[in-house]
Amino acid sequence: MASIGIAGAGVAGRLLAYQLALRGHRVTVFDPASGPEPAGDGQGAAGFTAAGMLSPLAELEHAPAEVAQLGARSLPLWQQVAAALAAQLGTRPDTYLRCAGSLLLAHPSDAGSAARVLARLEVAPQLVADLAAPQALSAAELGALEPELAPGLRGWLLAGEGQVFPYALLPALVAASEAVWCWNSRVSQLAPGRLTLADGDKLAFDWVIDARGLGAKDALPLRGVRGEVVWLHAPGVALQRPMRLMHPRHRVYMVPRPGDVIVVGASEIESADRSPVSLRSAVELMAAAHSAMPSLAEARILHLETNLRPALPDNLPQTDIEPGLIRLNGLFRHGWLMAPALVDDAIAAAGL
Amino acid sequence: MDTLNLYGTPLDSRLLLGTAGYPSPSVLAAAIVASCTQVVTVGLKRTLAGDGDNGFLQGVLQTLRAQGAHLLPNTAGCRSAREAIQLARMARELYDTRWIKLEVVGDEYTLQPDPWQLLEAASTLIAEGFQVFPYCTDDLVSCQRLLDAGCEVLMPWGAPIGSGQGLLNPWALRTLRERLPDAVLIVDAGIGAPSHAAAAMELGFDAVLLNSAVAHAGDPVLMAQAFGQVVAGARAGYRAGIMAAQAMAVASTPVTGRPFLIG
Repeated sequence: MASIGIAGAGVAGRLLAYQLALRGHRVTVFDPASGPEPAGDGQGAAGFTAAGMLSPLAELEHAPAEVAQLGARSLPLWQQVAAALAAQLGTRPDTYLRCAGSLLLAHPSDAGSAARVLARLEVAPQLVADLAAPQALSAAELGALEPELAPGLRGWLLAGEGQVFPYALLPALVAASEAVWCWNSRVSQLAPGRLTLADGDKLAFDWVIDARGLGAKDALPLRGVRGEVVWLHAPGVALQRPMRLMHPRHRVYMVPRPGDVIVVGASEIESADRSPVSLRSAVELMAAAHSAMPSLAEARILHLETNLRPALPDNLPQTDIEPGLIRLNGLFRHGWLMAPALVDDAIAAAGL
Repeated sequence: MDTLNLYGTPLDSRLLLGTAGYPSPSVLAAAIVASCTQVVTVGLKRTLAGDGDNGFLQGVLQTLRAQGAHLLPNTAGCRSAREAIQLARMARELYDTRWIKLEVVGDEYTLQPDPWQLLEAASTLIAEGFQVFPYCTDDLVSCQRLLDAGCEVLMPWGAPIGSGQGLLNPWALRTLRERLPDAVLIVDAGIGAPSHAAAAMELGFDAVLLNSAVAHAGDPVLMAQAFGQVVAGARAGYRAGIMAAQAMAVASTPVTGRPFLIG
C-alpha cells in the first residue's frame, strides 16, 4: 500500500483518488476549490462547466482516432463507476450517467455542413472496433425519439453514446472515496515523492500525481481555451439525450440535465479570458438551440458560465510516469470522455 | 528569379495560409512548415476581445519566426468599417506590422464582403499608413476603386469562405487579371482542392490564400504540402506559357504519308 498525494480535484484527480483508494492506497488530494460541490463561477474544475457528453463517435469530427478509442474504452468504465457509486451511496446509476445515444442534427439548408461532418464520422468503424457509423433517421423516427425537435430537421442517431451528470458525479466521487480531501490548498510544485503547497509546506508521499488542469501551466506548455455555456430552465421540454446541431459556423450542443435544465454550449475560443459570456456567444448558442427546438422560446435563462479547457499544443492528453511521479494533464475538451481509460492506464503503468 | 512582391516585401512562396479550425496548434505549426508558406493570416477579433492571447498566437509567431514567414493580421468577423479600423489599429500596435488583411462582412450567410464599408475602411487605413490586403468580391469596378484608394494588393474571392467550391466565376477572375495587370491579385476564399489553386495560378493570379481546405483535410499537414507544391508548380506552368488548346489530335511524332485526314 502506497501513500499518494494528488494535485487537482477535477475529473481526472477525483477519479484517480477514487480508484486508488479502492485499491487500498492512502490517498490525499489537494485542490484550491473550497469544497467538492460546484461553485458555478467558472473558476473551478472545467469538468463542472462541461456538458459531460460521452461521445467518442461525435468527437471524431475534430479529434484524432486516439481520442475516439480512449472514449470508447471509457464509456463502459464510467458505467461501472456509476453502478458502484449508486450501490455505495444508495442512489441510482442514472443519477450519474445515462446512455440513450446521442443525435446529430442539421437544418435542411445546412446539408453541406452535415455532409462534411458525416464524412468524417463514417470512417469510425475502421478506426475503432466498438463504434458504429451514424444511423440516418427518417422524420418519423426522429420525431419519435425527440418530439420537441423542429419539423424538417434531419437527424442521425449515434447509438451507444451517452452523458454523465457532472454536478452529481463529481461530488459523488469525493463522497464515496476513502481519500483525504484538502480543499483550499493549491499545489505549487511536484517532484518525485514530494508535493509543495502554495504556502510553502513540503509534503512527502510514495507517489505524487499531477492531475491539475491549467494549474499545471508552470510545468507544461498548457493553454486555456475559452468555452461558454448557457443553462436554460425549460419545464415541459423533455429532452432524452444529448444532441449536436451541425451548422456552417457554430458548433452547438444541447444536453438535458435533471430538473428540466438544458445546457447549451459551447464556444471554443483561443483565448485564456475568463470574463463573462459574450453577447455574441450567448446569442449564437441560444439562437441555434431555439432553431432546433422552437419550444425553448419560453425557457428561462438560469445561468451563463465561462471556463477554460486545459490544452497542450497537440490538444491531446499526456501521461508521463517516472518513479514517484505521475503526470496526467491536458484533457482539453475530452476530460469526461476519456478520463477512465487514461486513469486505468496510468495506474497500471505505475504498478499501483 | 520569380518573386512575389507584397508592398515591397519579396517572397518566394505564393501560398498564403490561414490559421483557423486546425485540429490543434501542433498540427497548424506542422502545416505551416509543410506548406513552405511565407505569409500566415490570423484572425484577432475574438482573441483580442477579452484578456488576449492564451499562447496560441505566441505559438504561431514562434513558428513564423523559425520559418522566416510574415504575420498578416486579419479583421475576420467585422461588420463595419469602424469595427475593422479599430481592430487593425490594435493589431498594428500589438504585432508591429503595417499589414492588415481587411475583411468587412456584408452578408451573414455568404460572408460576402461589403464593398462600401471595405472601401471606406481601406481608405482610412491607407491614410494612416497601413498596407491593406482587402478581401473583396470579383467585381471589376469595386476592385478598381480599391486600387484607386491606394491598395496595391487585391484579394478577390473564388467562392464564399469555407465553401470549398473552387473558382465559381473564372470569367470574372480572368477579367480582373486582364484589366488590372499591375495589381497584385490573390484569390482568397473558396479554394477546396489543390486543382482549384492551380486553376487560379494558371489564370495568372499572383498567389492564393486558403485555410479550410488545409485545416479540414483528412491529413492537414499532407494537404498543406500538396498546396505548396501545386501552387509553385502551377505558377511555373503559367510562366512557361501554356499552349493553346485545339480540337484535333496532334501527334508528337509526325506520321508520314498521312498529311491530311480524308473522309
